[in-house]
Amino acid sequence: MKAPPLIPRALARAFIAICVVLAVLPVLDLSLYTHNLLTRAYILIAAALAWNWMGGFVGQVSFGHAAMFGVGGFVAGRLMLDLHLPPQLCWVIGALAAGAFALGAHPLLRLRGPYFSIATIGIGEASRVVFTYWEKFTGGATGLSLPIDGDFKYQLYWWALGLAAAAAAASVVLRRSSFGLKLLAIKADADAAADVGISATLYQDLIFVLSGAVVGLCGAVSASYYSFIEPNDTFAFERSIAFVLMAVIGGIGTSLGPALGAAVFVLVDTYLLASYPELHLGLYGLLLIAIILFEPLGLTGLVRRVLRNHTQR
Amino acid sequence: MGRLAELVVSAVLLAGLYATMAYGLGLIYGVLRVVNLAHGGVIMTGAYLGWVLFDRLGIDPYLTIPIVLVGGFALGVAMYRVLVRRLPRGAAGGPASLLLLFGVWLVLRNIAYLLFTGNDRTIRTAYSSRSLAVLGTHVSLTRLVVLAIGLVIAVGLHLLLRRTLLGRAIRAVAQNADSCTLVGIDVERIYMLTFGIGTALAGVAGVLLATIFSFNPASGSSELLKSFVVVVLGGLGSISGVVLAALVVAAAEVFAVLILPSYLTTAVGFLLLVLVLVLRPGGLFGHRVLA
Amino acid sequence: MTYRSSRSCPLLLAIVLGLGALGAGACKPKSKPAGDRTEILIGGTLPLTGAEARIGGFFKEGYDLALEEINQAGGVEVGGKKLPVKLTLLDDTTNQDTAASLADKLINSDKVDFFLGTYSTALVQRQSTVAEQNKVPYVSGGGAASEIYKRGYKWVFGALAPVELLGTTLMTWIDDQQKAGKLPRPAKVAVLWENSSHGKDFRKGITEYAAKSGGGFEIAVDESFELNGKDYSALLGKVKAAGADIFLADAHLPDYITMHRQYVDAALCHKVVSYGARGSEKAAIEALGKDNTQYVLSGTWWSPLLANTNPLAKKFVEAFKARYAGRTPEWFQALGYEAMRALLVAIQQAGTLDREAVRAKLAALKIESLLPGGTLDFPQDHGGQVQAPFVVQQNAPDGTAPIIYPQSIATAAGTAPDPRCK
Repeated sequence: MKAPPLIPRALARAFIAICVVLAVLPVLDLSLYTHNLLTRAYILIAAALAWNWMGGFVGQVSFGHAAMFGVGGFVAGRLMLDLHLPPQLCWVIGALAAGAFALGAHPLLRLRGPYFSIATIGIGEASRVVFTYWEKFTGGATGLSLPIDGDFKYQLYWWALGLAAAAAAASVVLRRSSFGLKLLAIKADADAAADVGISATLYQDLIFVLSGAVVGLCGAVSASYYSFIEPNDTFAFERSIAFVLMAVIGGIGTSLGPALGAAVFVLVDTYLLASYPELHLGLYGLLLIAIILFEPLGLTGLVRRVLRNHTQR
Repeated sequence: MGRLAELVVSAVLLAGLYATMAYGLGLIYGVLRVVNLAHGGVIMTGAYLGWVLFDRLGIDPYLTIPIVLVGGFALGVAMYRVLVRRLPRGAAGGPASLLLLFGVWLVLRNIAYLLFTGNDRTIRTAYSSRSLAVLGTHVSLTRLVVLAIGLVIAVGLHLLLRRTLLGRAIRAVAQNADSCTLVGIDVERIYMLTFGIGTALAGVAGVLLATIFSFNPASGSSELLKSFVVVVLGGLGSISGVVLAALVVAAAEVFAVLILPSYLTTAVGFLLLVLVLVLRPGGLFGHRVLA
Repeated sequence: MTYRSSRSCPLLLAIVLGLGALGAGACKPKSKPAGDRTEILIGGTLPLTGAEARIGGFFKEGYDLALEEINQAGGVEVGGKKLPVKLTLLDDTTNQDTAASLADKLINSDKVDFFLGTYSTALVQRQSTVAEQNKVPYVSGGGAASEIYKRGYKWVFGALAPVELLGTTLMTWIDDQQKAGKLPRPAKVAVLWENSSHGKDFRKGITEYAAKSGGGFEIAVDESFELNGKDYSALLGKVKAAGADIFLADAHLPDYITMHRQYVDAALCHKVVSYGARGSEKAAIEALGKDNTQYVLSGTWWSPLLANTNPLAKKFVEAFKARYAGRTPEWFQALGYEAMRALLVAIQQAGTLDREAVRAKLAALKIESLLPGGTLDFPQDHGGQVQAPFVVQQNAPDGTAPIIYPQSIATAAGTAPDPRCK
């Protein structure tokens, strides 16, 4: 029996088209600022998508993903500074370290709902304090200053785009694979899932490690992007919250919504924040309230609703 | 010996603060099963309310408590009627309620920025820097007052839940909301009142904190996290557990200074939280619901 | 994993590597030369909201004053023509990410010619990398930690002397008091520092001085604390238990207020007390009460009292008072003013808007200044950070804060030990 394609053909075509357009964009006349802005957006898109595997697919809302972001960033940064390995290799090792860190959180996985969320806050904050204190590794509050290379920063655009594209493809694949279905079953009812032989802990472990590793990878690439990484800011609670916001705005639990959310997040931060810095908190707040009350699937839900009305007519 | 007494006094004072911060969060969770992520924002709002009354009208900060109670109660009832009531209950509502209330917090914080700017504020009264000798160490008067008020609130809450009709209804709803509907208790009304009381308590905690620490619109996250730690340790939703848990957390942090660099003591509370969640998900003192 | 998912792994890897390799050959496009210019564009960010909002506003006052003066004179002469100066100032909300991304926006989108750094060490440290990456001259009046300038950056210049020197200066005055027999020898020092580059620098200054003092000073407590902390009672308990004679802390304004209040509550009293650069701020005295801040020692980068001895400082204080309804400036405004002025002088000297030329002039700059010591330069052997001396002030019982060190500009004699302590 032939299995249905994992990625529907139309989606795959659109996806490839978008990637190609974005990849050749800088060759056309793109200002360096937009170039950098897009690079940053890609990193956040990948991180938001990866957060969603845990927070959306399994329904375990983590308020501590900044910890993995930081571990990935600092391991990569340390390796670049001390061993002068090629940055790409450092990123991968950083990502593996972040994945291992996530695996260390294994005991948390039997907690559900608010208990899990609260525990992740504890992990996130404790790692912020410990890593800021751990001077030998993170440079303490001074942080790590990585070598500056303008051309490499320029090339980061494509690496970040690749990362975002891979995360998006992985989201779609995950969602539609039998693995993804098992995650859904765990989200709906972990006990019932266990009754039919789906081990909630095993699958959550896998997805948490995967999600942590990708977020760690984002942290590592972002350290390269900024050429500087400092623990108090990298491990900040606000960063964990940003991942949650992006996913919720875009559509928590949908396969590609968080990418949309991250894009909106970057746009709002860039254009609105520069003009109305005193209003951006309240804006996010109202957005969150409106989404939860009226459109739990965020922008994705909104788009779907519009499409549905359109086709019905 | 002096050093030990000093640490014990520190721990008790800190415990008083922690317990005061945590009552509201614990009560709301115990009855509605909703983690009020806006808790930190309400604490911050209470601090500003107290500060405005003190600074503009010259009312003594401790005399503003009744006003803040009423204001906080109104805010809580409004939050419940407009927002929280519409949330799905139970496990499915978990993430939704967290995110909704986080949104409320952001809005509160923004309002405070617009009204009061981001500058730090303090409430300084004539007796702010007076201190008393207790067990051979100097203890600030304001901190003693805060401890006393914290204890009064604990007793008051206990009496409210044990001795009044409303309290019995609240406990009944906390145990089984469905059967309450059967015996004619208006569950929605109890939820609303509980949310109001919980918010009012958080507001009062804000005023009390404002008499000790400086604050600004971004304040509240460390208070929220500390309240979490205490409520979880005490078993989400148990009042006496909250008091005991506050003591445990405060003592752990204070005594950690003997073996750890003081910078790392902040992490102790958070690690304690994670440990307790993993090892004893019902809290250190069992899973008694408002008993 | 299932058959289908395992097939997708190589696919994902191919996406990343393919797209990454695509960019590997790409090079940053060279910026195009600007045509005829009608104004000089300076970009900058300051924390106008968030934790450091108050101080961000102070720096802005300094910028505005310097800008107004230069533009009233017709602007800066570049290529034989006077060009007005335009400052684009954005609010970085006291957030590192925002400070960096706004710098990126100002440099690459708004195409500013030069950059004025933001306030507070942590933000400057993060933001200055953006200037270095884009090769834009970056003058900071708000980043003091020497770590910022030790990274071998070529485009970053600091008008704030290192905090390490602040520690050393305080210790030098304390040492003088000890030699005069006013303080015990050896004296036990408690050094508490905020865990930031700022605090680490301060600690270095103190501990190294103590180590070289030949037994004159013994570090009894050496602890860090978290920025924007709440409860310092455990930390202060440690200080008390150690029986220190001298209490030296490095804190930002909010932490100074919080910590000193608890210090007073705990009925602590030391022969010498300092919070590094903090102590004489009006806001602190309002929040803590005049009595409780008496005899607190502070080392700052500038003081309005310098007007007595330094003509440029006098001119600045008068101009500031005239513009801002008689208010007296603090060091924040003075450093904002001076950072802006240094940049403008370098542009004038270069006579062009070419960034490399202005950078070279900044590196070689040596001008008369309102700073203590009277000169401002960016010595390259210190990574472009000025090494101007600090002024030590002490809060007097009458509510003033006279300069007590260095001797040449002192307006009063310092008091040690604090007469209220036994």
